[in-house]
Amino acid sequence: MSTIRARSPAAYWLALPAALWMIGAVVVPVLLILWVSFWGGRAFSPASPLTFDNYARFFGNRTYLALIGQTLLHAATLMAICGVLGYCIAYFLMVKLRNAPLRTALFLAFIIPFWTSALIRAIAWVPFLGVNGVINRALLALGITDAPVEIFLYSRTGISMAQVSLYTLMASGPVVYMLAQIAPALREAAMTLKAPPGVVFRRVIFPLTLPGVVIGQVLVFLNVMADFATVQTIGGNKIALLSNLILNFYEGAQLRAAAVVSVILMACMLIGVVAAMRVVDIRKLGG
Amino acid sequence: MGWRTRSRLTSWLLGTLTIGFLLYQWMPIATLSLLSFSGPTGGTTFPMNGVSLHWYRELWEASIMSDFKPPLLRSALLALACSVTTTILAVTAAQAMRGRFRGHNAFFYLLLLGIMAPGLLVGFGVALTARLLGIEPAWDGTAFLVHVSWTLPFGFMTMLAIFNRFDARIEEAALTLGATRWVAFRRITLPIVLPGVIGAALFGFSLSYDEFARSLFTTGSDVTLPLAVMAQLDRQLTPELYAIGTATTVTSFVAILACTASLALIRRSMRRG
Amino acid sequence: MPEAPVLAQLDLEIRGLRKRYGGFVAVDGVSLKIAKGQFVCLLGPSGCGKTTTLRCIAGLEEPDDGDILIGGREVTGDPPWQRDIAMMFQDFALFPHMTVGKQVGFGLEMLKRPKPEITKRVTEVLRAFEIDRFADRKPASLSGGQRQRVALARAMITEPRLLLLDEPIGALDYALREAVMIELKMLQRRSGISFIWVTHDQNEAFSLGDHVVVMNHARIEQQGTPEEILQRPRSPFVAGFVQGNNVFHGNVARIAGDAALIATPFGEFAVPLRDTVPLLGAIASFSVRAERLRPMPPEPGCNHLTLTCRTIEYFGSIRRYILERGDGEVMKLDQFGAEPACLIPGEVATVGWRAEDGVLHEGAPS
Repeated sequence: MSTIRARSPAAYWLALPAALWMIGAVVVPVLLILWVSFWGGRAFSPASPLTFDNYARFFGNRTYLALIGQTLLHAATLMAICGVLGYCIAYFLMVKLRNAPLRTALFLAFIIPFWTSALIRAIAWVPFLGVNGVINRALLALGITDAPVEIFLYSRTGISMAQVSLYTLMASGPVVYMLAQIAPALREAAMTLKAPPGVVFRRVIFPLTLPGVVIGQVLVFLNVMADFATVQTIGGNKIALLSNLILNFYEGAQLRAAAVVSVILMACMLIGVVAAMRVVDIRKLGG
Repeated sequence: MGWRTRSRLTSWLLGTLTIGFLLYQWMPIATLSLLSFSGPTGGTTFPMNGVSLHWYRELWEASIMSDFKPPLLRSALLALACSVTTTILAVTAAQAMRGRFRGHNAFFYLLLLGIMAPGLLVGFGVALTARLLGIEPAWDGTAFLVHVSWTLPFGFMTMLAIFNRFDARIEEAALTLGATRWVAFRRITLPIVLPGVIGAALFGFSLSYDEFARSLFTTGSDVTLPLAVMAQLDRQLTPELYAIGTATTVTSFVAILACTASLALIRRSMRRG
Repeated sequence: MPEAPVLAQLDLEIRGLRKRYGGFVAVDGVSLKIAKGQFVCLLGPSGCGKTTTLRCIAGLEEPDDGDILIGGREVTGDPPWQRDIAMMFQDFALFPHMTVGKQVGFGLEMLKRPKPEITKRVTEVLRAFEIDRFADRKPASLSGGQRQRVALARAMITEPRLLLLDEPIGALDYALREAVMIELKMLQRRSGISFIWVTHDQNEAFSLGDHVVVMNHARIEQQGTPEEILQRPRSPFVAGFVQGNNVFHGNVARIAGDAALIATPFGEFAVPLRDTVPLLGAIASFSVRAERLRPMPPEPGCNHLTLTCRTIEYFGSIRRYILERGDGEVMKLDQFGAEPACLIPGEVATVGWRAEDGVLHEGAPS
């Protein structure tokens, strides 16, 4: 018993506005992209015949195909780096660090930037990475190089560097959550059963945090795939990944091509999520 | 090597890595803030050529071309509207979830979709829809629609988490004392979860205020702040951008602080009950 | 004829164990010897240091001071995985991601036993604990009783020298506990493994333990057989903690032969002396078990006082009268239920006991 009765019709009326909003702002527009991606003919209109021409044109271009590969490779690289870093940080904060106030302080230091504008954080990397940037000046001052290194700004290295700082928390958060669920007695039980620390980690702790690792990987994957803003900020116009292609086509008024890329991007993401779901039952996270 | 030494070594290694990452994460923000205070002849990188508020003044007295004040106003108004809408819809939606109506699982996933769907695609989709319907994209129209589809799911999840912790027996007590459901909700439930509602509202404000991807195709010619910043970056990187970045970051910090405080408040009030 | 315990045959020896957490002293100079194949219960209120002591034995806590020897071998600095022990945890601490079979075989795997041997032993043990039906299930799908068996099987399979049990049946339904206690006792006898059972429940301690160690405020108050602790509590704490004692506080008024006369606000009572003779005037306490009390007219060689019967409680075959003393404190008088009732509520009666049934405390008053 509460202020709303189970299965009361009132619940429908309360849920309706939010549901309509989400359908109108997310579901319909996304379905529309799918529809538009099949529009053939010359004119851009709903009366267009449905064809695979747009897809054929996209997949017929080697550059675009290579771009899909590059994008996936870039995402995989970030998943690996953020995954390892995020796990180490989560493990240190939750398991190794015993000092509670220090732990809270480090947690805050870890999380707070996440709530600030990602765009500003990406821009903040620009003065770091440039030819006259902080990194190059430091390298020159330390005598590591005698000429400024140009690999940072307008390069995939620079993009990755910024994205690692943006997305490691996403890989780490679910692991922190899973680590917090593990009763300390489990670790102790394993030790009294003659398992040394390395084995305790491999056989007990890691398997129990695996769902968190997978969720974290999914989050990093989805965000990196969709992150055109960091690529644009740091890569300038020199580097483009799949998501930037949507922007380019849109600005070039090639809406159908943009729709095709959108659908491909969505397909990649869906495949990623489904693959992850096969590894772990995400619904178990809550339990 | 003994197990104790090894364990301590691991701790140190992981600790160094963690601190290293935190420095790595904070350094750009810190540098950005520092450079925003550089002297009038300072550039976009070191040396700063003195310390001044020059770039903040520039920002304030800007020319028409790079005037950030109108976008700032639009962003603030948009964020405010999103925050209010989100709060109302999130509270009703979460209250509906408590009713466990048929299809409440589908409803949950529908809202989750708003978090998972990439902003660029949602924005593109809405832009397409607007075009087909003959609607001109505008910051106070299409952009508002898309922003709420982003902030609402977060507000909804926050409210769900709060209602999950909420002890429904307090409501039952009110009902046994003769309150109707509506009165019990207004007089008992709402005051108890109010700090959480405020938290959700601030969260919504901050998400909308910082949103870039969803705004890109849906805002039209009167741009919001993140779009103006990006446009300026495309033209030229200036210390003014640093100033605006610093100001935005500080605003975010204040919002988080208020958000955390209100969530801490609700935790305390629930424990007392 | 059991052999006399020699040092090398002690399963466990603890000398002067101390453990502090910041300013809080959890264990303060605990010493303990456990002969081979004993069932030992550490009994005490929560926070008395019993669990910390157990965790020090397991190696899960590092003591600040003192020595721990398992099977005559010094293990104080050794980590848990190098000690010849196994442990059963309060909520069983089963690995949620492992099947029952994997779980039970874990200990043998850690000992690097060959695979076929592990499979064979696991099958045997699962059958012995009647959990072979669940071999492929995960803990989440098991009942409390089944989980308890899995936890026990997991701990026992490596046949350790010591099995440490931290409130092992606290998580079970009340109805299940008695049956499980009998089984565990039988298992301990059959296996010859020493059990160290931590509990706050004196019924558990007195029905299971060969040897009961009563702890309070980080120290051992008294240790001995259940009989010794029940019949001859050494301190007012033990007398008060153990059910069925009536405790009196007063001063030593006189020593007469082998008895001390203790002056209390309710009169003087004669109590037999124990090993040491207390000083005249010293603060002293003694206790009398409820079953030693009975309504009686004044008689020589007995102690008396006048009490009001308030109510009657029933414990199985025991009828317990709750009697009110002059200071408002209650006293207990137990009678075998088969006898006719000797008091009715509201009755004012003279109650007494034979002087030799009083037990003078030696420990400090608490």
